[in-house]
Amino acid sequence: MDKQLELLQGTLDMLILKAASLGPLHGYGILLRIQQISKDRLEIQQGSLYPALYRLEHQGWITSEWGESENKRKAKFYRLTAAGKRRLQAETENWNSMADVIAGILGTKPEEV
Amino acid sequence: MSLWSRFRSWWGATIQRSRLESEMDTELRFHIEAYADDLVRGGVPRQEALRRARIEFGGIERVKEEGREARGVSFFDELWQDLRFAVRVMRKNPGFAGVAMVTLALGIGADTAIFSVVNAVLLNPLPYADPQRLVAVREVLPSAGAMPMYVSGPDITPMRKISHVFDALAGFRVWTYELSGSGEPERVTANRASSDLFPVLGAQPILGRNFSAEEELPGHSVVVLSYKLWQRRFGGSPAVLGQTVNLDREPYTIIGVMPQSFVFPLPGMGQGPAADLWVPLALSKEELSDFGDNFSWSVVARLKPGIGLPRANADLQLVARDVLDLYQQWARDAQISLGDFQLGVEAKPLREVVTGPLRLTLWMLLGAVSSVLLIACVNVANLLLMRAAGRQKETAVRVAIGAGRLRLLRQFLAEGLLLSAFGGLLGLALALWFKDVMVAGMPASIPQFHPITLNWPVLLFTFLLVTVTGCVFGAVPSLWASRADVNPSLQGSGRGNSHAPEQQRLRAVFVVVEVALSVMLLVGAGLLVRSFQRVLKTNPGFRPERVLTASVDLPPTQYSREEQTGAFYRQLMNRLQQNPGVVAVGGSTDLPLLGQWNHTFTPEGYRPPPNVAMNVCYHSIIYGDYLRAMGIPLLRGRYFNEHDGPQVTLVVLVSDALAKKYWPGQEALGKRLKWGSSDSNDPWLTVVGIVGDVKQGPLDAAAALHTYQPYAQLARALSLRIAVRTQGDPTAVAADVRAAVWSLDSQLAPGSVRTMDEVVSRSTASRRFTLTLLGGFAALALLLAAVGIYAVLAYSVARRTHEIGVRLALGARRKDVLRLVLGHGLRLTLVGLAVGTAGALGLTRLFRSLLYEVGPTDPLTFGVVVLLLICVALAASYLPARRAMRVDPMIALRYE
Repeated sequence: MDKQLELLQGTLDMLILKAASLGPLHGYGILLRIQQISKDRLEIQQGSLYPALYRLEHQGWITSEWGESENKRKAKFYRLTAAGKRRLQAETENWNSMADVIAGILGTKPEEV
Repeated sequence: MSLWSRFRSWWGATIQRSRLESEMDTELRFHIEAYADDLVRGGVPRQEALRRARIEFGGIERVKEEGREARGVSFFDELWQDLRFAVRVMRKNPGFAGVAMVTLALGIGADTAIFSVVNAVLLNPLPYADPQRLVAVREVLPSAGAMPMYVSGPDITPMRKISHVFDALAGFRVWTYELSGSGEPERVTANRASSDLFPVLGAQPILGRNFSAEEELPGHSVVVLSYKLWQRRFGGSPAVLGQTVNLDREPYTIIGVMPQSFVFPLPGMGQGPAADLWVPLALSKEELSDFGDNFSWSVVARLKPGIGLPRANADLQLVARDVLDLYQQWARDAQISLGDFQLGVEAKPLREVVTGPLRLTLWMLLGAVSSVLLIACVNVANLLLMRAAGRQKETAVRVAIGAGRLRLLRQFLAEGLLLSAFGGLLGLALALWFKDVMVAGMPASIPQFHPITLNWPVLLFTFLLVTVTGCVFGAVPSLWASRADVNPSLQGSGRGNSHAPEQQRLRAVFVVVEVALSVMLLVGAGLLVRSFQRVLKTNPGFRPERVLTASVDLPPTQYSREEQTGAFYRQLMNRLQQNPGVVAVGGSTDLPLLGQWNHTFTPEGYRPPPNVAMNVCYHSIIYGDYLRAMGIPLLRGRYFNEHDGPQVTLVVLVSDALAKKYWPGQEALGKRLKWGSSDSNDPWLTVVGIVGDVKQGPLDAAAALHTYQPYAQLARALSLRIAVRTQGDPTAVAADVRAAVWSLDSQLAPGSVRTMDEVVSRSTASRRFTLTLLGGFAALALLLAAVGIYAVLAYSVARRTHEIGVRLALGARRKDVLRLVLGHGLRLTLVGLAVGTAGALGLTRLFRSLLYEVGPTDPLTFGVVVLLLICVALAASYLPARRAMRVDPMIALRYE
């Protein structure tokens, strides 16, 4: 397994929104999905997930309802709202352009200046 | 998010709080169990899987806490929690809470009560319309000392005509009348006033009308009643309008009644107490010809809008010049020379005149009482700090399981605010009582034109006090506590940190602050006590014990000629003389301490120094055995006797100071003086005796130059105040005096029946009031400071029991331990003394005007205060020191 990367400040929200956009998930499911997609290369403090979820819910980007989990337990499922979709899109674009800029800067060779 | 939706979210959340909490529980439990399930599937035993799941999840409580915060509902929630927690903590330790609350209540209560006085007297505007435009106009005679004084009667009308800066200007003066006609005759206080007086003040009668300008001339007998007199004497009946009352036995028609809120004049204006009624100015022919004399009128005026004081004073310069022109004209007509007579006119804000003399005293009292509150706060902060140290383990646990610093701060703040809120409530109850006590003992010099109540501004002030004090002593221990390191507290015994140097330093600062503030208060109080002693010890120049005085004013309508008044007083004195309890009886136009009557005079052959054109003295016209009755000693020559009649040499008695000033090194007996300037037409009076100096103004003013003339040599009808020296209790003859007066004139009522002791005590009432309050505050400060020193040292000894045990075990003698603790207390006290003395030296200078014959750096006062504080500090340190001395090393070493 590759070395785990520490999550960049402020990116957890984005990842949660993305994970939830792929279909309703409970908190643990969101964690698993992020880990699965990232192939376990991101280290996420399990506890830190929930304050982030509550914050996103409070801001109206995700919404939740109680349901039953795979193994018949009562669990809370989170789903992206319309506002959340727009937010995710904006954040994604923002992130991509930021990544481009930074990659461009970091990739600069001396003769290009 | 708007405020409303935020509130809704909060409200919804508050209702659903328990549901949300349980949901959060379920959700987190689900997460851990689901993870554990996965681990079990990976081959981990169930128990171990659950343990690992919990560890990897992290602190559940912290997650919950952050989750609550993330929902944005936590602030009010937590505040509520904090308050409930604070109440629980308090109920667990009622002794602590009780001591803290009572301490605070004393401080807040006293502060609130004093502020209610400051608010009513200094911060509230005068009770008249648009009061910032009101000024008092006064005349200044540069040749008689540049003190602004009253206004000469004839100047009122020209002032009104000449000045351009006033909307209106009104003259008035105090006058007393015998009021009769319906019910018992009584003496009432009146004002003779211009018709503009009420318009100037923006007041209107609630019933009837004001005087008209024509009625200001003599011959119009109309009267406006005060609300109080209307209620008291006329039962508040509207039918009084048009009725007739007798003032000095002349009929006056009632034309109006002023509203209840209208109080005039106010103390400080120098025209007596609030008037019972007002009559028109009606300056007589004689009064109108009193040019440059009889400065006994007051003038109030309303500035035109937009006109400032400098502009008004510039205009009044011109007014003064024009008034002086009138004087010159009059002098030419009367064929006398005015010499280099000068006159100035100046305006001063009315508010300044009324509240100016009180400002220093009241602010000083507020400062003093606030210092007491500060000491109380320091004590409570110290208590809280001690308790914070005792709760260190609790704090550490809370930090460990996820309480943020802010959260801790808020918790301590909640406790502090709760304490101060309860202390404040208790303090308000105290303030209500204290305010009433104060108002009951308040000297007449403090105007009560606004009732002194705990109204909204005062309550707001109390609320601010409560908030600030609560925050201060809530924040201080919490700032310290939240810095506390978690690990040692949890690992160690929970005591390890309590000797943290910054905490020690904080306690030291507490003691220093308390001692320093106490020193300042005690020095202030001490200086006032010393001044008061000096005032009481000053020789007033008369012997006040066993003297009864009364005003017997004869209405001029019935007693218009000298023979009539002379006959009346002769019969009255004879009658009183026959009373076996009476030693001596006499009358005078003025009584000591109450004198007002200034005369200008010229001693024969006296060459005045340049620029001093006028010689001014108090003057009394006396009847019978007045000087003996009042106990004014004869130094040389003789008192007046029955031979000093109208047909012989005109005689005068002078005070010692006058004789020494004008005939230095010579025998004043046989010298002559006359009234007015050197070219006045008054006859010469021969000095036949020199009497002791008498304090004519307040006791703490210098004895004035004084002259006395016998009643019999004045061809004038006069009213007198009588003085009766008795063998026993002077109040016992009061009834006899009344009976004697009534037997001669059944309608006469003697006024101001008082013993001279009462007159003296009234003249010092203001000083006594300030002194009592400041002394009380200083005593309270001393007590609180002693308690504070005791608490700090007792705590320190308790904490150091172990250390002291070690010292003793290693061979320290008990004496050394005693010295250790006493030395600790004394060192802090000495630092406090140094700071306090420096502060007091700086501050007392500001209050020089409140002192009498005592310097602001009086070494005796400072010395006594320093000694007193050292004694108190030693006493407060001794108890803990004794406890330290008796520590049993065996027990102490096992202590922890």
